Amino acid sequence: MIRQQSNAWATAAWMLAPTLFFLVVFTYGPGLYNIASSLPGFPRLFSNPANRNLVGVTLSYMMLVVPGSVLLGLGSALLVDGRTPARVMARAVLFHPVLLPPVAFAAVWLYLLNPVSSPIQPVLRWIMGGQGNILGSSTTALVAVALIGILKQFGLYMLYFLAGLQGIPVELKDAAAMDGANRWQIFWRVVLPLLGPTMFFVGTVALLDGIKSVDHIFVLTKGGPSDATNILLYRIFVLGFEYYDVPQAAALTTVLLTVLTLIALLTMPKLEKRVHYYGD
Amino acid sequence: METKLHPGEERPLASDRVTPTRPESPQPPGDPNRDRPPLFNRQQIEGWIQDGLALLLCFPLLMVVFFMVVAAFTPNRALNRGQLFSAFTLDNFQVAFQSANFGLLYWNTTLYTFGVLIAQWVAVTLAAFALTRLRFRGREPLFYLIFLQLFLPPVALILPNFFLLQRIHLSNTLIGLGLPYIASATGIFLLRQGFKSIPSEFDDAAYVDGATPLQVLWYVHLPMIKPYLAAFSVVSLVYHWNEFLWPLIATSSASKRVLSVGLASFTRSAESGAEWGLIAAGTVLVASPLILLFLFFQDFFVKSFSQSGLKG
Repeated sequence: MIRQQSNAWATAAWMLAPTLFFLVVFTYGPGLYNIASSLPGFPRLFSNPANRNLVGVTLSYMMLVVPGSVLLGLGSALLVDGRTPARVMARAVLFHPVLLPPVAFAAVWLYLLNPVSSPIQPVLRWIMGGQGNILGSSTTALVAVALIGILKQFGLYMLYFLAGLQGIPVELKDAAAMDGANRWQIFWRVVLPLLGPTMFFVGTVALLDGIKSVDHIFVLTKGGPSDATNILLYRIFVLGFEYYDVPQAAALTTVLLTVLTLIALLTMPKLEKRVHYYGD
Repeated sequence: METKLHPGEERPLASDRVTPTRPESPQPPGDPNRDRPPLFNRQQIEGWIQDGLALLLCFPLLMVVFFMVVAAFTPNRALNRGQLFSAFTLDNFQVAFQSANFGLLYWNTTLYTFGVLIAQWVAVTLAAFALTRLRFRGREPLFYLIFLQLFLPPVALILPNFFLLQRIHLSNTLIGLGLPYIASATGIFLLRQGFKSIPSEFDDAAYVDGATPLQVLWYVHLPMIKPYLAAFSVVSLVYHWNEFLWPLIATSSASKRVLSVGLASFTRSAESGAEWGLIAAGTVLVASPLILLFLFFQDFFVKSFSQSGLKG
């Protein structure tokens, strides 16, 4: 370690060169270029009446997807924690949607939710009344799209929570049980506080996943009905690659990059411990 | 609770054996076995309830898979009338193979997925090694530069990257499609876990013998970080195999199309005359390779994705 110290800088430089090259050319370069060139698009972005719902729809979607997938992930992790055959099997079943192409998972739901020939038509009518056209009405479409987003992704968060649960010393739970705490108390007073860091990590991942996962919207609603599921990233696609309104799409990309950078600045200090190198 | 479930005249069972709960049978008075410890203690019963709830949670997801697989083998006419279990057919797959060149879709997806992975292996391994094993000025800022990329996924940059590819004449090529993914913060942080677990004595010994850093990485570290590299590979392969939005934008011709984009074109054409059979068959064709692999290598998949959660 000491001997190679003198030319460590040169070695590090060439070893990091490929990563830095692609990082600059395909992430930071395009990002900064977009921010710098997007100013002319902003007036129209704000005046366009079609963008009026954008913030509300995106926030509603996020407020369903993030807590929904994190809580379902935590709940299922608590249920499948353990080594019984039933739980090991359940783990695989609950995780499998993570491995499916989002487009394929959405296609399944497109079939299940179509009001004409769905095999679960009675269920749809029971939920919706009338024709049971869940994807055809603004409110139910947004909820359905959010639910499908949750089902696709929560299995991954379940695994993260399982890893977190395994990090909690059994002695602590045993000690609480010895002191007469019931399962409920052990969960609230011992397990949940110790899961805090995992919770924060999963919450951040879920937030980022929610923002960047829009594939299912292409299959299920294409942003409709009447823009009810037209969330941020999907809107960028529509503006840039369907209307070819590049200035507006660039302005919206700048908004997205700003949001992502804010999330980074707010969460990095807490996440740092998870990834940081403590020295050698 | 436990005394109610205590069946009076049963012989004792091994405590670790899973037994279904039996209907309660009240103990006759004066039973000599009365003071025997209960067969099912509270913990065991709670365990079974938990097992039951876990399986119950699986039920909706299993139904979804079941419906899709059955639909793929049901004639389209029956599907349109909502009759799912009426007849068996392979026609849907035949129509799917006629509607899209699945051979080409699989080939493009494979080429893209593994091409990205191989480039990532090189870039990610070198970077993670340098960041954990070399001391040099500027390491901290570089660390944060890479850290920040975790928050700026390539899908957020579809617009500027699309124009960039056009400018460097790599739009509508599989190579251009892969370029934004070669620098992978996820991979670097996953591999760092591996590098950190190797004691520095290994390096010191090799350096004393006159090894170069690259030799240390290749001969000393690489064999030890293989499990981490494998975990990263699974996560990367799954992501790119399933990817949709960026390939939709970056490639325009049918000859460069990948699986997800091909399947989405089925669902688009379905709006006119509901081709549910085609959609179901297409979904089965697109989803089955990874699901089959998962069935065989369950533990490996689960471990790999757990590891992507970056243990503290």
